Amino acid sequence: MSPLSAIVVIATFLPGCFLNRVDAQDVSGLVFSQAFLDCRATHFVNACLITLFACWALVLGITPAYAVSSISIEADKVELEAGNIRNLKAQFDLDGKVSLQGQVKARDDQQWTEASLGCTALMSPRRGHWRCQDGKLAAQNIQLPFSFELTQTRVENGERYSALLDIKQASFSDAAGLRAGEKLTASLGFDVVHKKQQWQWQAKLDWKNGELFWQPFYFPDAGHQLVANGSWDDGVLTVSQADLSLNKVGSAKLSGKWIHGQLDDVQLNADDLNIAALYPLLLQPMLENTALDKLELEGRASLKLTVAHGELRSFLLDLKDADVEDQNGRFTLYKINTRIPWSYDDPQVMQLAYESGHLLKIPLGQASIMADVDRYSVTTSQLYLPILDGALSLTDVSAARVGGSWHWHLRANLVPISMPELSHALGWPRMEGKVAAAIPMVTYSGGNLVADGDLLFQLFNGNISVSGLNMQTPLGLGPRLNAHVTMRQLDLGDITRTFSFGAIEGKLDGDVQNLELSNWQPVKFDASLRSSPGNYRKKISQRAVENITSLGGAGAAAAIQRSVLRFFSEFNYKQIGWKCQLRNDVCQMSGVEYTPQGYVIVKGSGIPAITVMGYNHNVGWSDLLARLKRVTEGNSKPVIK
Amino acid sequence: MRKFLACSMLLSLLVAAPLVQAAADLEINTPAISSIKNTMQSRHGQLAGFYASGAVGFTRDGLVAVRDANAVPLAQRQNLNTLVAAENSDRNALYKEIASGNGHPEWEAEVRSTFAQRWIQKAQGGWYYQDGSGWVKK
Repeated sequence: MSPLSAIVVIATFLPGCFLNRVDAQDVSGLVFSQAFLDCRATHFVNACLITLFACWALVLGITPAYAVSSISIEADKVELEAGNIRNLKAQFDLDGKVSLQGQVKARDDQQWTEASLGCTALMSPRRGHWRCQDGKLAAQNIQLPFSFELTQTRVENGERYSALLDIKQASFSDAAGLRAGEKLTASLGFDVVHKKQQWQWQAKLDWKNGELFWQPFYFPDAGHQLVANGSWDDGVLTVSQADLSLNKVGSAKLSGKWIHGQLDDVQLNADDLNIAALYPLLLQPMLENTALDKLELEGRASLKLTVAHGELRSFLLDLKDADVEDQNGRFTLYKINTRIPWSYDDPQVMQLAYESGHLLKIPLGQASIMADVDRYSVTTSQLYLPILDGALSLTDVSAARVGGSWHWHLRANLVPISMPELSHALGWPRMEGKVAAAIPMVTYSGGNLVADGDLLFQLFNGNISVSGLNMQTPLGLGPRLNAHVTMRQLDLGDITRTFSFGAIEGKLDGDVQNLELSNWQPVKFDASLRSSPGNYRKKISQRAVENITSLGGAGAAAAIQRSVLRFFSEFNYKQIGWKCQLRNDVCQMSGVEYTPQGYVIVKGSGIPAITVMGYNHNVGWSDLLARLKRVTEGNSKPVIK
Repeated sequence: MRKFLACSMLLSLLVAAPLVQAAADLEINTPAISSIKNTMQSRHGQLAGFYASGAVGFTRDGLVAVRDANAVPLAQRQNLNTLVAAENSDRNALYKEIASGNGHPEWEAEVRSTFAQRWIQKAQGGWYYQDGSGWVKK
């Protein structure tokens, strides 16, 4: 083969590289200089390989004619799409040692850096067979020892190239360190047949050792393999069949077509994937900063997926006996089985069932859900999710993905749940009775959640209603909530027993107007708690009196102790009232009525009667919460003298 | 001790950042702001090492960014990204909360740029920050 034909063969073999003109000068001497004027390779390695092989081929061509022991080749400048090379020097010794050195600058780089590529032995044991042993590519952040073998054979109406690249203990990194590998050992085999305009190829990649970080993915272990075949025809890459095997995860079969680098068609079929291993490897990095970014998974999954003309057309996701546990403890579902089909063209029915679970520590019972999936919307007329001895019953559920974000609405009813069990599950003080709720149409759209009516709860033998509920970005940055809360006829006995506050008998009405939470913390409200109107038994224990007074600051409790009233353990009252206007982290307090010294919180009546006064008009909200916590935790013990 | 100093320095910055404009109170404290500051404080211990090694630096818009992940072992780079994302999420929320705590959500940009300057002023020697030309070592 003539030297120049060798160059052309190699240049064509490496995709994206074209040699427009090759000048060979001064062939008579020991120094052979050559300039690559217009080599536009897509990669530095391609350019180096071209030079190496050109060098090799030229030597083979001229050796018989000239007595040459070593050849050096220089090029001032090589321009590539990815960057430039300058001061390129190639040295070829007749014992087969080849080295290539130069300075490279990637397109985005500021500075030139030294790079080298060499082989201790570049050989051609027979015609059409080249071998590079102990090769090494070195540059800033790249150490890539390799060996390379290429065989070219003639087949009917074309050429066949078989290449084998072995890399051993290679490491590389980009400048920012966001794409990097360490101690990588892998072998890549390529077999290509070129006939007419078409290339038929087969490839096999075996990743044997080393770790790889490719933002946002991290592969700590090797053991992954890819075997694929297909064709390349005028910018169209066809993968007829690819078998991808991921260590510990499972395997997938894939076929597809890419047109000028753009994904066109894909069929993916993965059976029996181990989701415990799949999640940290591929799913978690893609779910960063979502509610699903810290999960522990168990179980198996299978996925079939079709993409046509660059668009997702259909998929089928099955989970088998999967367990999902949120590591932040927000939710857990055990033994999930799903069949979730989706098609761009036809409506489908999805099924999801789980055996048990927790949502915010609330135990969930077995549930089975069916829903209609129609392109980008999911609807179901009824969802029944058992919770303890009751259930959350959802109706008119509809969700749609429009313009890249989700919009949904639903109605809900809480089928009565026993409070003793619920409060125990939530780690709250034991509460008696049952809780029930009716939730009107709730709509979520554009990051805002709005309730179209009042949410009604039954708790502490009374009624609580939440009106004007409006949440902004409840799941996003800086969640905000606005609402008005109205409480009527709550049983004070139940409440005070629940929170170990000291017994008060009676009924309580309350209003929390203009409630505003930011990041789920109160920033503003106008609260008013007071005795419900009507006739009922009104008694307050000495301990409750002390606790109320200690909420307002020290002093008042001592006065009670010293008074004659200490002989009684409970007192009659006429009215209880407490108001707090929260602004700028300060609660401005008042009571039933004002007196010259302060305000009345508990107004006594009959015998024995007691009046509890508040003197502090402004208390820091966090101070107040801390005092309330001390009181309900029982650190403020009643003193009976 | 260095970590402690850095931590307290950054916290004092949060508390003592100067007024963005005559009317804006950057020291405003709401429960939401203090809860954001608490999570930032607890995260700072993990980030300080990355600031010192140059893996993470301060950006011009009051956030942090991965500057050179090469300073961090491969196995920790995902964690690095997660920390940076969480820190930025808190910083964005903090600027938003301070602006709306002042009753002027539209002041967020000014709050942010004032904080950006102060983060950089208070950064320790050897830490990196961005100026108009790129990364600068303090």
